[in-house]
Amino acid sequence: MDPGVRLMERIRTRDTTAFEALYDGYHRLVFGIGLRMLGDPTMAEDLTQTVFLKIWTTPDAFRGGSFVAWVSRVTRNRALDVLRSRAVRPEAEIPADLPLEGALDDDVFRRLDAQRVRDALALLPPEQRGLIELGFFGGVTHQELARRTDTPLGTVKTRIRSGLRRMRETLGDRVSR
Amino acid sequence: MNEQLHRDAMLENVALYALGVLPREDVALVVAFIANDAAARKEYDDLRAAADSLAHVADEPVDSARSARMRERLMVQVRADAADAQAPFAGRRRANAVYPAWLWGTGLAAAAAVIFSFVTVVQDVALRGDLASAQRRSSTLQSQLAQAERIGTHDRQALTDLVSPGAKRYDVAGGAVVVRGDRVYLTLTKLASLPKGRVYQAWTQPKGATAMVPSVTFNPNADGVAVIALPVDAGRLAAVALSVEPEGGSKAPTTKPTFVRPLT
Repeated sequence: MDPGVRLMERIRTRDTTAFEALYDGYHRLVFGIGLRMLGDPTMAEDLTQTVFLKIWTTPDAFRGGSFVAWVSRVTRNRALDVLRSRAVRPEAEIPADLPLEGALDDDVFRRLDAQRVRDALALLPPEQRGLIELGFFGGVTHQELARRTDTPLGTVKTRIRSGLRRMRETLGDRVSR
Repeated sequence: MNEQLHRDAMLENVALYALGVLPREDVALVVAFIANDAAARKEYDDLRAAADSLAHVADEPVDSARSARMRERLMVQVRADAADAQAPFAGRRRANAVYPAWLWGTGLAAAAAVIFSFVTVVQDVALRGDLASAQRRSSTLQSQLAQAERIGTHDRQALTDLVSPGAKRYDVAGGAVVVRGDRVYLTLTKLASLPKGRVYQAWTQPKGATAMVPSVTFNPNADGVAVIALPVDAGRLAAVALSVEPEGGSKAPTTKPTFVRPLT
């Protein structure tokens, strides 16, 4: 079982030790996503604080599955909220939120690590890899991706789909249910 | 041929949604497509798994000083909250405290014993200033986010329900009635645009009842897509229907229903 899942069970009983362990285990991930999406360490720090406080105050929001996938999506959606609330860029350039409940089970992310994912990314052609990374961490829409990379919209769509499919194949059953 | 091209285009949009780069205005169309098409749901699950795995790339070391500072900020609030929960009548004082008692105690002890150097004291004061400043920033951010969250929670729940493999789907012409838990949605993709003054109206039939109860009215978007959450407990429903009604809705259907779908 994902250690985060076990810790969340204890956090529901207001166990501060479990919460500290959760922070120690996952703050790098939360801060890292925040930093990449917001581009500012201070904002990423505040975002990390907000995400973990939310976990502490409403632990029931996590309804099982992969804790890593869930907290990543919570962080991503929170970062989008920050971008919206601060009007850092036009609303039209900010994509829709992601659903928090996943189809993934908690085994999926346990079998993955950063190096494996980086390796899978490295196998993609640069033009696919760049769009996928910028799309995931940039907090921008595909139209904005097309504009920033000076690539036709249809090409952006095709490259993203092809790239994700290839990643899926490379990671194989590590991301299978 | 056109049908296949349309389908390929929609599957590309599914990939965009899985990666999280789809603009809000396109989400209804794509979610309705995913909700109504088993192959699209499989594609979404696969690509979403690949997209979610990207989060691992962000799991990189954080500067140790920053990491400790964030931990300190967080645990101050968490410990205070935990203490409040145990001693509710002492809550106000604790809730307003920025630092835990042990931190003040440490400072006082240090001053009394004259053990720490002047530099250490200055650093301590600077740290407290940083913490207070960070606390204020965090408070402002949280109030901003609370507003966004109120708006977003409902939408996120609906999106989660609609693409969930565990949702029950009852096919209707041009879409489906989707039920997950006690929530029920209409996901319709091929609705004709209506003349001015006319709207679509949903109807619900409670279990054990013979008559339809009026529900929400709506118009599809320019693509003929409507994704509608019905404000009713799905567990108490026997059927859902749709008809075209005058603007403002009717108390009973005045036209032949577009569909009547028993939830069985």
